[in-house]
Amino acid sequence: MGSVRGPMHHFGSASVNQQGEQSAGAGREEAKMPAAQPGTSGYAVELTGCTKQFPTSGGETYFAVRDIDLKVEPGRFVSIVGPTGSGKSTILNMAAGLLTPSFGEVKSFGEPVTGVNRRASYMFQQDALLPWKTVIDNVSLGLTMAGVSKTEAHAESRRWLEKVGLKNFADRYPHQLSGGMRKRTAIAQAWIVNPDILLMDEPFSALDVQTRQIMENELLQLWQESGKAVVFITHDLDEAIALSDEVVILGAGPGSTVVGSYEIDIPRPRDLLDIRDDPRFVALHREIWGRLKVEVSKTYESALAEEGEAA
Amino acid sequence: MTILGSRKTGSRKNGSFAGQDRNTVHRQPRRGEMSALAMRSVQLLLTIVVLGAWELLARAGVIDQFFFPLPSDIFQTVWLWVSSGFVFPHLWVTMQEAILAFLVGAAVGLLLGFILARVRFLERLLDPFLQMFNALPRVVLAPIFLLWFGLGIWSKVAFGFTLVFFIVFFNTLEGVKSVDRVLVDNAKMLGASERQLLRHVFIPSALTWIFSSLHISVGFAITGAVVGEYLGASGGMGYAIAQAQGVFDTKGVFAGMFILMIVVLIIDLLVNRLERHLLRWRPVRSS
Repeated sequence: MGSVRGPMHHFGSASVNQQGEQSAGAGREEAKMPAAQPGTSGYAVELTGCTKQFPTSGGETYFAVRDIDLKVEPGRFVSIVGPTGSGKSTILNMAAGLLTPSFGEVKSFGEPVTGVNRRASYMFQQDALLPWKTVIDNVSLGLTMAGVSKTEAHAESRRWLEKVGLKNFADRYPHQLSGGMRKRTAIAQAWIVNPDILLMDEPFSALDVQTRQIMENELLQLWQESGKAVVFITHDLDEAIALSDEVVILGAGPGSTVVGSYEIDIPRPRDLLDIRDDPRFVALHREIWGRLKVEVSKTYESALAEEGEAA
Repeated sequence: MTILGSRKTGSRKNGSFAGQDRNTVHRQPRRGEMSALAMRSVQLLLTIVVLGAWELLARAGVIDQFFFPLPSDIFQTVWLWVSSGFVFPHLWVTMQEAILAFLVGAAVGLLLGFILARVRFLERLLDPFLQMFNALPRVVLAPIFLLWFGLGIWSKVAFGFTLVFFIVFFNTLEGVKSVDRVLVDNAKMLGASERQLLRHVFIPSALTWIFSSLHISVGFAITGAVVGEYLGASGGMGYAIAQAQGVFDTKGVFAGMFILMIVVLIIDLLVNRLERHLLRWRPVRSS
């Protein structure tokens, strides 16, 4: 099927062969050592001084996020963690091009993002599958809309469904699937267009703990062989540390900004089921939680204060 | 299916021919509830009791046979109209009018609904005018349409159009505007153009709304045709009923009503079929 998104593939992301699998070569190495010389055009996602404000009904200005600087190198897995209302989704939507920052600049691979970021796929917190399309039509959507023939798109979709373990569910409708299966479908839908960037907004938060761990493991496996940049949003610090190369901490909202960034040097491949006992994990968790805790209590206190005012 | 109560359909559906309770169709029998067959038998029994009581009371002279003719006489008239072929040309005229009114009304309603839902400027511009026309009791338009379009079918088509259009229009508008934001964003991220958004997201999403209005608008198309004929025509079921009334033939009036009822029921059944096919992706909701 070749490259769906036109001439964008020769950047950081690895090339993909007919089977949709990794041709483990240059792409992977590039992904593994991206820090060498990112240069100005090297970042998969680059937010510089991004502020997003909304006018409130009272005529005032509400700052969702303020002065966000975020750089994600190709092939890196970066998590953004922050307390409730810290504007995590706002940041992701700006990177996706679904929101335009009020001030500041969003770039992707050196080019300013105008309109939706065509090099990124997005996995939403809510169910975003089209309920009137079968699983296979949902997965094929990105390809068929790009002009790939239906037969070809279906063949490719079947490969992806097999990868995510849904081979036998191709003709079901989303409402006939469990929450975990819907997430797998969403993963296939997002990955089939072979994006260079994956934006994930608490994709597994609606799942039960066990399913969630399994999904995290599978995500990591898919990602490890792909060389894609991932921006992963979560409120769960455990999840962030276990998955990421870097954890970015957001301050308490409103008008929150980046208050810390931590390199996660736990070696890969990681076994997520046991990682929480890893001494490095424990140390990192203690360190980052020490910082995050401050922001979380700030959010909690301001919520209490608001309640007090309201009462 | 559940009736998605838009402001328009909610307030308008009472007068509709096709406004029967559609909730009964998909209901799952609960424990302790009657099976479908038993329910049907009881319904049949109820019908027999009511019609039987009517017949007996009328024969006994408790009910005036002139105003409430015997059910047996009504069925006889129905049979006469059907067997002699008298009713079919009239039915055909009414159906023609209803189908044309429905097609034109639904097409224009859909088109305008989609356009106004996507172009905020137009919606704001036209909103007060649409509200004004919708507030107008449509029956008062029948005389002027009669003058404009004559006694033939087109005055009824125009009348039915004004009924159908607003229902379809408001439901489409609401349907497109209430599309889940996440579905739109997701399709956009997957590279959808405006046209593809319409085809893959907005139209299917609005379909549930459009269908909830379809039952009502089909009923209204027929209402429009019949009422139009009643007020002045040279053929059609409304004309036949008006003729019967003119000679104090209450049996004929009742027979006309009965035949119309059956026809609308059949049409509604077909709409149900179509709906179930097109909305097969939806989870069956248990009540």
